[in-house]
Amino acid sequence: MDLSAKFTFVIACWAVTFITVADCAIYPSETSGDSARKLPSAVIPVSQPSTLGSFYSLSLSSTFPEDLNEYCIELLRIYRQRYVAYANCLVTYARPVKVCQNCYTGFNSLDGIYKNISSDQPGPGNISCHDSLMRSDRLMLLYALFNKLDEIWTSAKCKQCLSKDQEALSNDTVYFMATLNQSLSCFEQYQRNHTELCKDCKASYRKLKELYGSMDKNQTLCIDLEDAMNITQQLWSKNFSCLLPREETVPVIAVSSFMLFLPIIFYLSSFLHSEQKKRKLIHPKRAKSSNSLMNIQDKFN
Amino acid sequence: MTVYDIVKSRLKEIPHNEKLLSLKYESLDYDNSENQLFLEEERRMSHMGFRCLEIRRWVICGLIGFLTGLIACLIDIAVEELAGYKYSAVKQNIEKFTEFGGLSISLILWAALNSAFVMVGAIAVAFFEPIAAGSGIPQIKCYLNGVKIPCVVRLKTLAIKVFGVICSVAGGLAVGKEGPMIHSGAVVAAGVSQGRSTSLKKDFKIFEYFRRDTEKRDFVSAGAAAGVSAAFGAPVGGVLFSLEEGASFWNQMLTWRIFFASMISTFTLNFFLSIYHGKPGELSSPGLINFGLELTLEYIPFESFLFFPYYFPGGMLGALFNVINYWLTIFRIRYIHRPCLQVMEAMLVAAVTATVAFAMIYFSNDCQPLGQDSTEEYPLQLFCADGEYNSMATAFFNTPERSVRSLFHNPPGSYNPLTLGVFTLVYFVLAVWTYGLTVSAGVFIPSLLIGAAWGRLFGILLSTITSSQSIWADPGKYALIGAAAQLGGIVRMTLSLTVIMVEATGNVTYGFPIMLVLMTAKIVGDYFIEGLYDIHIKLQSVPFLHWDAPPTSHWLTAREVMSSPVTCFNRVERVGRIVDVLSNTSTNHNGFPVVAHTTENEEPGKICGLILRSQLIVLLKHKVFVERASSRLSQRRLQLKDFRDAYPRFPPIQSIHVSQDERECMMDLNEFMNPTPYTVPQETSLPRVFKLFRALGLRHLVVVDDENRVVGLVTRKDLARYHLGKDGLEELQLAQT
Repeated sequence: MDLSAKFTFVIACWAVTFITVADCAIYPSETSGDSARKLPSAVIPVSQPSTLGSFYSLSLSSTFPEDLNEYCIELLRIYRQRYVAYANCLVTYARPVKVCQNCYTGFNSLDGIYKNISSDQPGPGNISCHDSLMRSDRLMLLYALFNKLDEIWTSAKCKQCLSKDQEALSNDTVYFMATLNQSLSCFEQYQRNHTELCKDCKASYRKLKELYGSMDKNQTLCIDLEDAMNITQQLWSKNFSCLLPREETVPVIAVSSFMLFLPIIFYLSSFLHSEQKKRKLIHPKRAKSSNSLMNIQDKFN
Repeated sequence: MTVYDIVKSRLKEIPHNEKLLSLKYESLDYDNSENQLFLEEERRMSHMGFRCLEIRRWVICGLIGFLTGLIACLIDIAVEELAGYKYSAVKQNIEKFTEFGGLSISLILWAALNSAFVMVGAIAVAFFEPIAAGSGIPQIKCYLNGVKIPCVVRLKTLAIKVFGVICSVAGGLAVGKEGPMIHSGAVVAAGVSQGRSTSLKKDFKIFEYFRRDTEKRDFVSAGAAAGVSAAFGAPVGGVLFSLEEGASFWNQMLTWRIFFASMISTFTLNFFLSIYHGKPGELSSPGLINFGLELTLEYIPFESFLFFPYYFPGGMLGALFNVINYWLTIFRIRYIHRPCLQVMEAMLVAAVTATVAFAMIYFSNDCQPLGQDSTEEYPLQLFCADGEYNSMATAFFNTPERSVRSLFHNPPGSYNPLTLGVFTLVYFVLAVWTYGLTVSAGVFIPSLLIGAAWGRLFGILLSTITSSQSIWADPGKYALIGAAAQLGGIVRMTLSLTVIMVEATGNVTYGFPIMLVLMTAKIVGDYFIEGLYDIHIKLQSVPFLHWDAPPTSHWLTAREVMSSPVTCFNRVERVGRIVDVLSNTSTNHNGFPVVAHTTENEEPGKICGLILRSQLIVLLKHKVFVERASSRLSQRRLQLKDFRDAYPRFPPIQSIHVSQDERECMMDLNEFMNPTPYTVPQETSLPRVFKLFRALGLRHLVVVDDENRVVGLVTRKDLARYHLGKDGLEELQLAQT
């Protein structure tokens, strides 16, 4: 009895120590002050996200003593406006793709406010909205929303079509647009007669293609230009069917069959003229003078 | 020998065929000669000395891995640069002429560039080192089996091999650079472990202890493993390859060392290639070929059995490949044996390969849109709409490795069935025709390519038959299974190939279907004809010993197998007789039993030991005669080191001058002969002799009668000549080649 009691006590002690240690290890911040706000969201999953929702729903917002301060709410408002404007722009110019040309101002302003929020520099009244707006909950909505749009911007390679300060379209882009318009207007002229079109618009189309090729090499293409080029190519090849004719079938066949004929000559002539390689047989020394193959035969019989 | 016999033997000339054994090939001396010198050396060596030896073995293995990896890296970079140059030149030319006409000129340019590359490679091989032709795997297999193939592990061979393979791959032949890597690894191993190069006449005076066939063999198997490992990024596959194909003799420690060499090799390649690709530290290319395959893992278990349409074509097409190549090789040996003809043939094949490829591309109507993630380096538009490329060109206008990659990798719908069907057919013919040319080139990649093409074709057909798209959606995995089946059907490797494929794809889940496919491919293929490497070994007339003696040969006894009578020496022999026997070109024996007492042409004496030609030559060179013993006291005694210094190229007997006086001297062989050679009684059955011979790696096996008198000698050629033919046991004939 005594022993088991002791044992239980030791176990209990051990468990208590362990839990304490574990607590410390997991939440080291707890030891410092200001614990309530910095508690990880996983511990109190309900409270924090609802703070942001306080504008729209009847919520528990009033129960939280420390509300967002005015400055941060203002930032959040600007973010919302710019975000909506930019998303609106993106969808408007989704097909045919013209997002880079039309939405770069929107992106720049959104980028500006995002950077403003995420910077650690305190605003007026020495308040940093970074933590309270961006990192207070596990959803991190502002971050995720911006991140997705930024990803789209990057994969569209819009930066390559803009000038260095991202404030205007680059000269290359403008020039490409002009060249493209030339071709398109040429296409329009000959809308009826496709054979004429293929002949007369070839020069401008080739110029466009070359320009595109050189821009591809210089990496000054973005999705707008790629898409425009793609559509133009399809117009040219599919709609107007200005394909290159396969005219040289005869010479290609002639040269090919000549080439294929060469090995036949080669093998025939080496078969006829080359001396066949002969092997000299050697008779090994054996215990019995007769060939051993004979032995095999004997044994089988 | 009577006059009649001489006439008969002169008349007996037959065309080359597979049922011959060449006199050119000799055995390696794997059996240690435990003579007195050896015992003395062992006594002198401390415990620490043996420890150091072990450490040195590890150092050598590390070096082997490192150098092999470097060579693989060199080959890869050189091929990439040269092929890149060639393809971009041809591509520019084609683009120019598509619009203005004159495509036949592009065709000629392509063919000419191909021929030029191949010509350089073929000249190097045909005129400087013919042994460097082909993949080198058959040769290494023979070496590890115990056959001394002349020049096979020389530095010169390595240089020609590397140069040749770069030329032939850049020359657009239907070949790969993986097989030659195995040979290269083996040469590196043989060179490093000896610490010197006889080709360069440079002796670094290190690793002298390893200058013996036994030690060298172990390192060569490590080198072969390192080669496989660098070629496929498959270190375990490399070790297993060495065990399966080569090393008849291995132990735990050796296997562990081989694995070490393999790992180092693949890591070295990976490291340097990542630097070359400009991403140091990313380490994404462990092998020369990367399947770069992101397989869907969701293959349902019973799909392994649904892969059954792949089981039979692999073996059958493999067998067909081997049969055609067999006849072609016989024709080549018989008629195209002059170097200039061989070079011409290689050039023709290169030109025709380019021509056929061009014609295929020209007449193909299969256009596919250029994708964002397309891996094509040289997309050809030709007559396709703008923004699209010719799908046939992805398969033909590329190095074979890249073609394999795109067959595995490209998304569904990248090829239409007709393109794949035509490609399979054409590439099969080209690959059969190419293997066996006098260029150094491997057969792995073309086999994989053929298999991947028909595998993908089947995959596409299956998906059109069945309605449920989701399961059959990924043609990449069918390409993989097809590739495994085709390669298995051609080379007939089992365990190591499974592991290599699994490692190269980096996907253990597909191990099971790959194993099943390889198993069936071997069974089906073996029903028709043997593997490609075995065919080539046979056609080279190499006395190759398989794992077991042919079945139904127990009735044959050592008495019928052995050569007799045997040339023997006395324990103290006259120098003149030794010189005469050694200079006799008609016999050219290598091992001589030493007997107690022999009188000319009479009863054979009792066996006392065995001495080798190489030992006798060293003795003659150092003039170790009984009469000189007194004067020799002042000189240094002969040591084992003197024998090692002469290894592996012992001077021929003609180069040793023996004066008339010296011919009358006597030579005491007691100290140098192996006093305890292996012997068997006359009544021993062939399988028993075979087992002893094969397991111990013997070169000479003395047959004695019941009074221990020498009656005959069994050598490799005596055993290798029996094989199982169509109607029972057949015997191969010895021939001079």
